[in-house]
Amino acid sequence: MKRRMLYLCMELNKTLRLLPRMLMQAVLLMVLMGLIAFGGVRSMDREPLAVSVDIAVAVQDDDALTQMALGFVESMESVSEFCRFRQVSEEEGLALLAQEEVTALIVLPERLVDGIVNGQNPSVEIYFAEHAGIEAVLFKELTDAGASLLNVAQAEIYGANDTAAEYGFTDRLRMMEMEIDGYNLAFALDRLALYETRQLSVTGQMNVIQYFAASAAVLFLLLSGMALYPLMQPEAAVFRRQLARQGVGFGWQDFCQWLCGFVSMGLIAALLPAAARFLPAAARFLSAIAKILPAGMETVGEEPEVWTQAAELLQRRQNAGHMGMSVFLIVCSLMLISTCVYCIYSLTGSRISGILLLFVVSLMMIYLSGGLAPSIFLPETMQKLGGRLPTAWLIRAFGGVFTGYEGEAAAECAAGICGYTILLGGCAWLCRRRYDRLRV
Amino acid sequence: MDNQINDEMIRVTDITSAYGGPLRRKWVLKGASLTAARGECVGIVGANGCGKSTLLSILAGTLKPESGEVIYYGYPAWSDRRAHVVRAQDKQNEYSTTAAGGGEQTGKGRVWCHKDIFRMMTGYVPQENPLIPELTVYDNLRLWYPDAKQLKQELEQGFLSLLGIQNYVKEQVGKLSGGMKKRVSIGIAMAGTPPVLLLDEPSAAIDLVCKEDIRCYLQAYIRRKGTVVITTHEESELVLCDKLYVMKGGKLTPIDRDLRGADLVKLF
Repeated sequence: MKRRMLYLCMELNKTLRLLPRMLMQAVLLMVLMGLIAFGGVRSMDREPLAVSVDIAVAVQDDDALTQMALGFVESMESVSEFCRFRQVSEEEGLALLAQEEVTALIVLPERLVDGIVNGQNPSVEIYFAEHAGIEAVLFKELTDAGASLLNVAQAEIYGANDTAAEYGFTDRLRMMEMEIDGYNLAFALDRLALYETRQLSVTGQMNVIQYFAASAAVLFLLLSGMALYPLMQPEAAVFRRQLARQGVGFGWQDFCQWLCGFVSMGLIAALLPAAARFLPAAARFLSAIAKILPAGMETVGEEPEVWTQAAELLQRRQNAGHMGMSVFLIVCSLMLISTCVYCIYSLTGSRISGILLLFVVSLMMIYLSGGLAPSIFLPETMQKLGGRLPTAWLIRAFGGVFTGYEGEAAAECAAGICGYTILLGGCAWLCRRRYDRLRV
Repeated sequence: MDNQINDEMIRVTDITSAYGGPLRRKWVLKGASLTAARGECVGIVGANGCGKSTLLSILAGTLKPESGEVIYYGYPAWSDRRAHVVRAQDKQNEYSTTAAGGGEQTGKGRVWCHKDIFRMMTGYVPQENPLIPELTVYDNLRLWYPDAKQLKQELEQGFLSLLGIQNYVKEQVGKLSGGMKKRVSIGIAMAGTPPVLLLDEPSAAIDLVCKEDIRCYLQAYIRRKGTVVITTHEESELVLCDKLYVMKGGKLTPIDRDLRGADLVKLF
């Protein structure tokens, strides 16, 4: 027992000696990841993609009513947001469509408005380009919605006419029509009254910054495992067997190595809240640096306020009442990350291949789990696979620090993490036993 | 124990060992046998990859043989029979035995190991130094010397002082030269002052001064009735040997201890 404790002390001693170097490497990694995020911040903060639909309109006569209706439609906010109308002749419109300079061509027949009013309903022809893209789809949706609204309005007016004639209220028909127009206009102009506003987010309860902070934390910790190789890589077989001969069994040696890795991982993880606090200061510093960068790169440091906001968002916990659960899940997560790193070093048995495999596996797992882009944007098979990976549980656990944990979800998360810890620990144990058998 | 057995420190009988799975089995040792008396130095020579290190690993108890017997001081360490449980009575190499299951024959074809015998009887210096490079020499030694007082004593006036380790005891092992590391490895092997020292090419890749120091140290150890089994290619170490074996085809053959140079190589 004394020799076992002595071995543990020596491993801890070794950890202490290596700690400054490992922390430095972790800080370097953090700075590197921060710089990548800093460079990519503009893409996070940019305006949504603006879709502009060019429409050619061919009016077959110079009817003033038709021109007025067209002007009304063009000026509608929902249309003018992404439609640009261009009045052309039918031949010109077809030529533009063939050249794909416009998305659609609308041919308005003669006396269109009169026809609508008197119930003839002359058909409007709409031509789309052969290889119509997203713009054409949007425009088709818009025209379909407009046509449906018009159908309903006409049906209401005809219905009112028939009812008034049936019951002899024709004198009050004008008033009924005005009321119907009022309702329709109200619905048309204030469409939000018809719909329930519901905000959906691919990042779940977390906001975008919290989500990416959680996944970046998981990636950072996994990659920090590269700095832990002196602690976690298998010792020389001769050394292990000598120790075993002295009564320090293989199992105890493995446990001590894992424990030292876990302790180091905990200390590296402590850098994360510190980094969140220093985020605005770091951004200001980077902005200052960016100003002396060569031409074309100065935009990199233009938005330090984004980082200040990010830091505020990270520090704002939505449900601060679950401190115990947060600590428990983070400790479990660190155990899983340490075990994952340990398993990879056990699998490869050498430093370089271990580091390379750890790098590749970490990036792949994070990508599939939606850590680089939310998994909803990935193919369905990848989504299913990614949801079952340990990194998916880890992102949830780290995200819970910001959003708090609900009982059942927390238990599920803890079970997932513990399950993976046991599984990877078992794999590592088998690999080490094989390693011990093979090497002389 | 009669005197004859007491004088015979090591008896190795028909040791076999193989690598690889059932389909790619490669037999390295095919019935190697040797004996060594107290205060005797036994040298093993042979071509690279002939099985010298494997034999030493088996003698040190870090590798299990397929069959055969290794007996130290009359007590089986690796054996096809589970004969005795041995306990050390004191530090003067006096041992007593207590019966365990009446010394019965158990498990056909199974090789039994007695870790305590290896631990008490042998010190093993492998080719690769069993050291933690991030720690100091003292910390490394401390791992193998659980008694700090004993370590201090050894450093001041024991075997470790003979090796000159006390001069760089606070240095980090990773920064030491190959020769210094080898001295520390020997120091580690000497923890508990075992009566048998197993050395696997101790002079490989070290300078002449260090080789000479190690040779002098081994001479001193043998004078104190220690038994040495050494695999080597160095003539300066062959001079120390009372017995010489050549390893060929997985077997050990005793040869004339005065053979050197081309005459010796012919036997490989």
